[in-house]
Amino acid sequence: MKKKNFNLIAGGAITIFFLLIALLGQIWTPYEPTAMDSMAVNLAPCAAHPFGTDNFGRDILSRVMAGSGSTFFVAVSTVLIGGFFGTLIGALTGYFGGWADNMIMRFNDILLSFPSILLALIFISLLGSGSYNIILALGILFIPSFARIVRSEVIRYRDLDFVKSARIMRAGHMRIIFAHILPNAGVSILTAAAIGFNNAVLAEASMSYLGLGIQPPDPSLGRMLSEAQSYLSNAPWYAIAPGVTIILIILGFSMVSEGLRALKE
Amino acid sequence: MKYFIKKLITLIITLLVISFLSFAAFSVIPGDAALSRLGKDATKEQLLALREEMGLTDPLPERYVRWLKGAVQGDFGESYRYEGITVQSLLEEPLFVTVLLSGIALLMILVFSIPLGIASARFSGKWLDVVTNQISQIIMAVPPFFLGMILTYVFGLTLHLFQPGKFISPRESFWKSVEYLIFPAVAIALPKIAMVVKFLRNSVLAQLSQDYVRTAFSKGNTSSGVLYGHVLKNAMIPVVTFLAMVIAEILAGSIVVEQVFSVPGIGRLLISSILNRDYPVVQAIVLYVTAVVVIINFVVDILYQLLDPRVRSV
Amino acid sequence: MMKPLVEIKNLSIRFPEEKGIFEAVKGVSFEIHRGEILGVVGESGSGKSMSALALMGLLPKDADIFSGEILFNGRDLLKMEEDEWRKLRGSEMGMVFQEPMTSLNPVLPIGKQVGESLRLHTKLSENQIREKVEEAMCEVGLTDVKRLCRAYPHELSGGMRQRVMLAQAMVSSPSLLIADEPTTALDCVVQAQILSLLRDIHEKKGTSILFISHDLNVVRALCNRVLVVYKGEIVEEGMTQEVLCHPRHEYTRSLVARIPAYDGRGQGEREMIRLDNVNVFYDVKNGFFRKNGSKHVIHDMNLTARDGEIVGIVGESGCGKSTLCKTILGLHTNYTGNVWIREDARPQMVFQDPFGSLNPARTVGWILEEPLRLRGIRDRSERKKRVSDMLEKVGLDASFASRRPRELSGGQRQRISIGAALLMESRLLIADEPVSALDVTIQSQILELLLRIHEERKMTLLFISHDLNVVRRFCSRVMVIYKGQIVEEGLSGEVYESPAHPYTRLLLGAASMETEMEASYAEGKTTSEEKEAALCAGTGSFGCAFYDRCPAACSICRQEEIPVTALGETHWVRCSVFAEKAKGKIN
Repeated sequence: MKKKNFNLIAGGAITIFFLLIALLGQIWTPYEPTAMDSMAVNLAPCAAHPFGTDNFGRDILSRVMAGSGSTFFVAVSTVLIGGFFGTLIGALTGYFGGWADNMIMRFNDILLSFPSILLALIFISLLGSGSYNIILALGILFIPSFARIVRSEVIRYRDLDFVKSARIMRAGHMRIIFAHILPNAGVSILTAAAIGFNNAVLAEASMSYLGLGIQPPDPSLGRMLSEAQSYLSNAPWYAIAPGVTIILIILGFSMVSEGLRALKE
Repeated sequence: MKYFIKKLITLIITLLVISFLSFAAFSVIPGDAALSRLGKDATKEQLLALREEMGLTDPLPERYVRWLKGAVQGDFGESYRYEGITVQSLLEEPLFVTVLLSGIALLMILVFSIPLGIASARFSGKWLDVVTNQISQIIMAVPPFFLGMILTYVFGLTLHLFQPGKFISPRESFWKSVEYLIFPAVAIALPKIAMVVKFLRNSVLAQLSQDYVRTAFSKGNTSSGVLYGHVLKNAMIPVVTFLAMVIAEILAGSIVVEQVFSVPGIGRLLISSILNRDYPVVQAIVLYVTAVVVIINFVVDILYQLLDPRVRSV
Repeated sequence: MMKPLVEIKNLSIRFPEEKGIFEAVKGVSFEIHRGEILGVVGESGSGKSMSALALMGLLPKDADIFSGEILFNGRDLLKMEEDEWRKLRGSEMGMVFQEPMTSLNPVLPIGKQVGESLRLHTKLSENQIREKVEEAMCEVGLTDVKRLCRAYPHELSGGMRQRVMLAQAMVSSPSLLIADEPTTALDCVVQAQILSLLRDIHEKKGTSILFISHDLNVVRALCNRVLVVYKGEIVEEGMTQEVLCHPRHEYTRSLVARIPAYDGRGQGEREMIRLDNVNVFYDVKNGFFRKNGSKHVIHDMNLTARDGEIVGIVGESGCGKSTLCKTILGLHTNYTGNVWIREDARPQMVFQDPFGSLNPARTVGWILEEPLRLRGIRDRSERKKRVSDMLEKVGLDASFASRRPRELSGGQRQRISIGAALLMESRLLIADEPVSALDVTIQSQILELLLRIHEERKMTLLFISHDLNVVRRFCSRVMVIYKGQIVEEGLSGEVYESPAHPYTRLLLGAASMETEMEASYAEGKTTSEEKEAALCAGTGSFGCAFYDRCPAACSICRQEEIPVTALGETHWVRCSVFAEKAKGKIN
């Protein structure tokens, strides 16, 4: 490699930093994230509250820490659901082809042409809001994109000579798919996962902002922003901490995915 | 021609599938028109009678056909929430507003991203490209609604270039409403501009490493001759497909951004209808938006075929 | 004596690399005289194309011309204004590249691409340009040029595209034509056509040609003078015949080194494989509503190979060779007839492309252990031991086990492939063009390895190749396949010394390139373009598959079934003309 993979290193560092913050937020926060303090409403950033307080006097830093936790929880769970089923479906349909592959991929293409927010909204309007429903909705929605990526990778390798060679040696289909072909798709799957994290964070934040995602009293970055909007003129700092946190988390993931893509080449 | 017919058939089938899904999905959830009209205090007998009367007990396919017939003519029944008001009349103005907003956003995207993408590829590795690249990456990480809040704060609350929340209906003054929509459109367009710039840049760069580029140089083309005469036509083919996705994303972005700027469009109506369980409205909006997405994809497929001779002859 | 057209003096080209600098061309000097065809021979990575690219000003961006002069008509191109140099490209010098499939712009019509250099360098009107374009396209042997001008590259076969490339380089009558491996991607018959076309152009227009190739036979057929390039340096230079008959440099000697010969030892009597009347089909899917049809790929194939025999199968690409392999190996099951393989045969295959045949995500050790795992050897240390033994057997060492395929050269990869087949204890090895993707010097090494292993294990080897020179020396028996049918079979000596079928003769002619005779024979009675079209199209419905290309074709060739005529105990041919002759004898 000519240059050090800046994107991968910096993106990885940002991601790990916020992951640690989020983990820390699960065991310790400066204040109780839900504790209200009528004496300290809409405080500007100060020594006691580095990011200020909100309209109920809750400490914004503590809420951002806790909120990052739910963000990561949602993102990781959705990517796991989408990644697992998507990889499975993509690998099998790509390898075996045939009408089932045709049907599933047609359906996939239609689903993929819709923005995930819209589909998530439809899901939520059917299932109701709440963090588990968000995970379920986004997880299912991510299946097609994983399936498509894995499928195209499997198809790329399916007819190569080393696969033929394995077949000639009488290796079973499952062994060929999982031991011979899929290791080649590793970087692509990781890239897809990084993009998936990126989209999941964005989708969760948007849904929560719209009031259809994580419900109070659970802290959520998107929700905080929608509350902050009402106080934009007199307490603009309320929006800054959660907003910048979302941006950095997304930036971290997108840099990681860029870096992985460069790694593939 | 064969290609066109094939795509047209696919389009119709897709539309039918989508309409059926959106109908079926909303008929399995508890709560229906009868319940909403009578309210929670109604007795079972009353409910059953009304359901019978409204045809809600008919088999699903029958109800679907009836609903579809109405939908094609723009009749989606009555809203659950606003008694006696048809869904169609609720939708009319928001639909126009959202189309206007999306149109402005799309225009911004096309005007800014295409020249910028080409320039970025042309000067790849130079400062223009590097700066564009870095800014693009950061902008793409900003959620549209937060971008909207930043714009509101900077241009609305601080610079007073517009009054947040004071949307003027296009019926009152078309140009005033366009003026208000400029900032929401920026919030939608900016991340998409970054996306398209990056995509176009990479597409052009990928083409530049193709063998035919070397051939073009060997004939004595200048580098701009190669770029405009040979590369661009090839590079635009994937971009056209990508634009279909971008248009769908604009619609998605407007759902969120309308909320930020209090623009009374389809997106705002959708959110409030979901929160109020006003399913006929949700159903109608979903059908509208999905139909638009599918039709745009169809148009892009046709465009693609016009641009790429390889597809044309298949 | 006239000044040479091109003089290259002490040219060095460098590339910045991870560790220091890679010098691709090391102080090379040579000239191209007016009206000569100069050949440049060398293996991939030898830097043989670099000086040509430098001459055209088409070097990759990171290349650095470190020193030297490139004089064209006495003027140093390197000191010229870029715009002035550009004006020479496409007018005074034209270039044809290796890959006809990707070297044309896919979205522009052919006519526009051929006429482009005229549009750039002359003030001719559109009508004049069109005339010149059509003329140039006729000159390279294309027909129906008006229609062709409106066509797009993907509608053309490889040979036709290479003709179009030639037309677009020649349209402005340059004084220098650079041809960089122009025939490498083509079939041997088409290759012969393109070469004779180059010779025509050279004779008619007196164009100087710089011809770059890795293939000595091709260079021998075309070039007056030859340079041999090795690791960025010219190691030998001289008249072609002189250099090839009396090579002085060690590298040149290894280039012309002979292909190892097989003396027929170790042949047993037991049959290893037998195909009786095998017909193979492919499903064809037609469009949206799926009208399923099937394509008949292999016709009435009868084939046997005995224990320890090396059988050569010869044919051009698309003749059904790989389908035959797949059928034998059980990867393709849509066939009628009988495929019998002895139970202990465990057929294995060595593929043509060394880059696709090893799993890029795994280490060499894992790849070689896989056959052992599949054979049920559970003991890890046992597997490791066998793998390192095998690595030594195929001429590598045990340290290769931890490497990944991308770290290996093409020849090393082929060794691994052979090793994997051996670890299956295969008694029947099918080698599908195992050396054609390799450099000449590596080719003979791999062939030697195959011979050594064959001697040791006495397995049956089906050797598939388009390269008649290799097959002739390497195999004891040869089958010639045309469009899925064996048209001639016999012992190597018989087929090569007295080829019977017109197709065999055509192949032999194309391979040895014995100038005009064969060229005109190859042209036959149809134009070259029609012939290519016939090549691409499916088999005609009746009679001889070779009818459309055969110079000796007559009405009897259209009969339903072409009879097989025995020419000796082991030699037979499927040709109506021979059948008629034989009948005449009997009657």
